[in-house]
Amino acid sequence: MIYKVSYVVIGKPHAGAIVNQDTPPRVGDQVELGGETFNVVEVVDLTPQRGEFAYLHVTCRPAQKKT
Amino acid sequence: MSVTELVQRSELFSGLTPEQVERIVALGHEEICNAGDVIIREGDPSDEVYIICKGMVEVEVSQDAIPDVPGPPPLSSLVRLGKGQVFGEVALVDRGARSATVRCVEDGTVLYVISRQTFWKLCEGDHHIGFVVMRNIAADLSFKLRHRNLQMRLAGGEL
Repeated sequence: MIYKVSYVVIGKPHAGAIVNQDTPPRVGDQVELGGETFNVVEVVDLTPQRGEFAYLHVTCRPAQKKT
Repeated sequence: MSVTELVQRSELFSGLTPEQVERIVALGHEEICNAGDVIIREGDPSDEVYIICKGMVEVEVSQDAIPDVPGPPPLSSLVRLGKGQVFGEVALVDRGARSATVRCVEDGTVLYVISRQTFWKLCEGDHHIGFVVMRNIAADLSFKLRHRNLQMRLAGGEL
């Protein structure tokens, strides 16, 4: 299965991203999008699976930088 | 994973046999770009469609020029696209000028590039390939629209 994921970022101005992945994202995961790290806060099915593709929507927030 | 294998895993070719995908892959070539490189520019004539094999790009559209500020109008980011995504497909469908600027955001981003003319010739010569690819392009454009709608709903005030 290939997971086509729409990442929408909340908490800062960011246009989000669309990426294909081999594993599905889960709430609590950290993802890197173009050099920035985000925490996944929600994962939902966006549309039904078609062929070998699953379509997911993820809401994420910028990860807190460690001090 | 080879570039050919990565291209085969793009949604653009979902539903085609490996032999059909190989015929399409044989039409294109690989390009590598680095952060900051402009791959296509809004308003330019369009000749090619791109598949991202590795790395990430940013899609931007120009906003209204700011009065009394010299230089080109500012760009507003629409979305970042990563592995497996396609861009340049709008012009593949409508043959118009580029609708957005696409800029590379990661060094070593690998793109697979197919000329529009060659691509059309293949689709017109094999209507099954043409139907499947156009259906996949429609599904991809719908996905991008859904992403944009969610972006507006969830983070609209923050863009």
